[in-house]
Amino acid sequence: MAGGPSGVVLAELASRPGRDTAVATLIKLTFIGISLLFLMALLFAPLITVFAAALDKGLAMYFASFKDEDTLAAIRLTLITAVIVVPVNVIFGITAAWSIAKFEFKGKSFLITLIDLPIAVSPVISGLIYVLLFGAQGWFGAWLQERDISIVFAMPGIVLATMFVTFPYVARELIPLMQQLGNDEEEAAITLGAGGLMTFFHVTLPKVRWGLLYGVILCNARAMGEFGAVSVVSGHIRGLTTTMPLQVEILYNEYNFVGAFAVASLLTLLAVVTLIVKSLVEWRADYKKR
Amino acid sequence: MSITLDQVTKRYQGSPVVNDVSLDVAEGEFFVLLGPSGSGKSTLLRAIAGLTGVDHGRITLHGHDVTHVSARQRGVGLVFQNYALFKHMTVGDNIEFALRVRRTKAADRRARRKELLRLVALEGMDDRLPTQLSGGQQQRVAVARALAHKPQVLLLDEPFGALDAKIREELRRTIRQVQRELNITTVLVTHDQEEAFAMADRIGVMNLGRLLEAGRPAELYATPATRFVATFLGAANLLLARQTAQGIRFGATPVNVRAVEKFDGAREHEVVAVLRPEEVELAPTRDNLRTNYIAHGAVEELVFTGAMERMRVRLNNGAAGAQIATASEAASGTALLEVTRTQHEQRGFPVTLGQSVAIGVRRIHVLPTPLSSYTSCGSDASAAEQLAQHAFLSELASRMKTRIATRVEPALATMTSDIATTPISGVAVVGASANAAAQIRWLLRNGAGEVLVLPADSTPPQRVLIHWADDESRRPTLAVAASLLRHVPAEAVYIGIMPEGVSDMQRPAGVRTLLDARSEAQAVHGLEMRTELRFGVAADELRRQLQDASDQMLILGVSSLDQLSGDFSSLLVPPPGCSLMVVYRPTDTPAGELRTAP
Repeated sequence: MAGGPSGVVLAELASRPGRDTAVATLIKLTFIGISLLFLMALLFAPLITVFAAALDKGLAMYFASFKDEDTLAAIRLTLITAVIVVPVNVIFGITAAWSIAKFEFKGKSFLITLIDLPIAVSPVISGLIYVLLFGAQGWFGAWLQERDISIVFAMPGIVLATMFVTFPYVARELIPLMQQLGNDEEEAAITLGAGGLMTFFHVTLPKVRWGLLYGVILCNARAMGEFGAVSVVSGHIRGLTTTMPLQVEILYNEYNFVGAFAVASLLTLLAVVTLIVKSLVEWRADYKKR
Repeated sequence: MSITLDQVTKRYQGSPVVNDVSLDVAEGEFFVLLGPSGSGKSTLLRAIAGLTGVDHGRITLHGHDVTHVSARQRGVGLVFQNYALFKHMTVGDNIEFALRVRRTKAADRRARRKELLRLVALEGMDDRLPTQLSGGQQQRVAVARALAHKPQVLLLDEPFGALDAKIREELRRTIRQVQRELNITTVLVTHDQEEAFAMADRIGVMNLGRLLEAGRPAELYATPATRFVATFLGAANLLLARQTAQGIRFGATPVNVRAVEKFDGAREHEVVAVLRPEEVELAPTRDNLRTNYIAHGAVEELVFTGAMERMRVRLNNGAAGAQIATASEAASGTALLEVTRTQHEQRGFPVTLGQSVAIGVRRIHVLPTPLSSYTSCGSDASAAEQLAQHAFLSELASRMKTRIATRVEPALATMTSDIATTPISGVAVVGASANAAAQIRWLLRNGAGEVLVLPADSTPPQRVLIHWADDESRRPTLAVAASLLRHVPAEAVYIGIMPEGVSDMQRPAGVRTLLDARSEAQAVHGLEMRTELRFGVAADELRRQLQDASDQMLILGVSSLDQLSGDFSSLLVPPPGCSLMVVYRPTDTPAGELRTAP
């Protein structure tokens, strides 16, 4: 084999597509160009606008916006909601994915459809459901009033609505992954004498951790950014039941553009950071596979 | 016994995936479960491991009934086809997993890990991740991991499936070595007969959920009892021959092969002969053959494969009248014989394509199966032709790798002539017409040993009922039932019938008959069947049973034609709505009734 091209070179040659012709190059460039233009118009421009408007009156004004009591309360409420919603949905998502991927039972496809429901239904309707259930005129309204429990127009309602909207994310991420990975490793662990919990924590969880993390990130992003459903159940009580997206709307309606865009920029920043973390996770997972 | 399976059955959506499997694996034995995909071998292995529950039967490991013990408690070692290593753990952690579960001390764990890595020749690989190892190495780790907790039984599910040929061979040797060193009872599942031969102390061949035969590799290869085992273990030519008191006859050519088993019974009948390609000798003329001549043929295909030369030789039409027992070959009228020759033989007599050669055989094995081929009988050509197309019959024939001949007998309609010109060979098949009873008697009188009555709409049965008229017909009926059930995924049920109003004193005798029948079926034919005891008139009881559920079939054994026209006439007129197989072996044949071909 001395003198011949190395295996790597040969493999690279073999995998190379046919020689690019001028027309093929033109088509390629056109397609990439269209995609980029589209992204520019619809994504980058608004993104830049958000930050530009927020910083319109200078950095001082920008940071002053965050000194507002109501704005701080909104940020706090958003974070608390996310802290409650995400772990609950992680537990639900793992349970649902486990039962769908590992067991055969009647109504399995129905369960999968149910999990998809929040994505299919408009968030406003999701919010309305809770008003109809727990509102003053709702099914449980009178019962709740007697006991002085408020759900709608209070934090519990916001948490419930957010949970409803975000519960598909973890499950949908895990179901195909668990189905694809199969049961062999779990079965191996069981024949080696491991119990259910040990199998789950030492075998299943490490196996799906990247997919799970990805699901958590998506779930978190949606939980913090949800507007429609939360808007219906919140009642817009300033400093009490407004979340960050709602606060942006309130400020904007009051012509406080700097304040509105400052909160918006923070929300955007959270989203961007989330996306960066997501990309890192994906990159890491890809690297792991090799 | 290390592993004992007793009538293990596993159903999936109603149909049995593992069907009444009984098996003993001895201490320290290397047992290979061999079968095509979908034969139920992996399911059986998972049942032994406890990962799959069974619907019926018992599993015993070292004398302990573990049928209802969880996989976790059974403590067997299991190796998967895709390794199933814990990818996020190092090799060392993988191997120590079972010990960590058992809270073994760290020092002991490390000692055991070292010992196991030495055993599978992976010393010093402790800190690698599974993804950094080759497939063969990963499977070695899997074997070591499965052995960590010192299981009494090692189970391997197609462990070489994902590896290429060279590594496969090396790993085979390693596993065999480890098995010998630890003297651990091992069951390996594979679809590769070469692998089975290379590793097994004993092989069990499975098909359609049933364990067909089990035995030492050499025995199974030389003297298989079933068509499936004969063709699945290596290449085999299946030829239809006639067995007479003088020996085997292919058409008009008698073959005096020493190795042919002794002829039992007086009736000349059709048999299935197994002819291994390497047992065939070729020579320029009949006189040059050193072995028994069977026919002349022409070389039709010639392939050089290194050590061996493989060819197909077409038997000359009419030269011997020998017929290969497959449906497709039957259509062309002549048969293709597979032949392999060594370099030495090639040098002795080089052949070219198209050359005419004389064919001899060194060794012929006759299958003990009573079902050789099918002859679809009708009073006119279209009726016989239509019956030959019957879905269940075609399925049976293709599963049994045999042919369906057609035969026109006007006598079936008129019943005028009592004697056919030539005796009927194989299983005679007739439609379920109104005078089926008379037709059955006519066919049985004319040389048929079995008659299959097929209603036009009958489907493959889920349940096969077995009944015989008297003790004389028990043996042949069981043999036919066993042969049929190897090719039909159905449950076998023997119906014992005692007359109504028998005294309590006689009942134990009835139960004993059932148990005897069951144990004989299992011991002699390897057929697992259930038994039921009924009281009443036999024909009525059987008819009632058949009407109970659809998708049933009846195998009825008789030893004299009078029984058909007497006791069972009400069963046959009108014919039952399901498939019916009548087995007839006359007890003492009067000289006049033994007919031989002219």
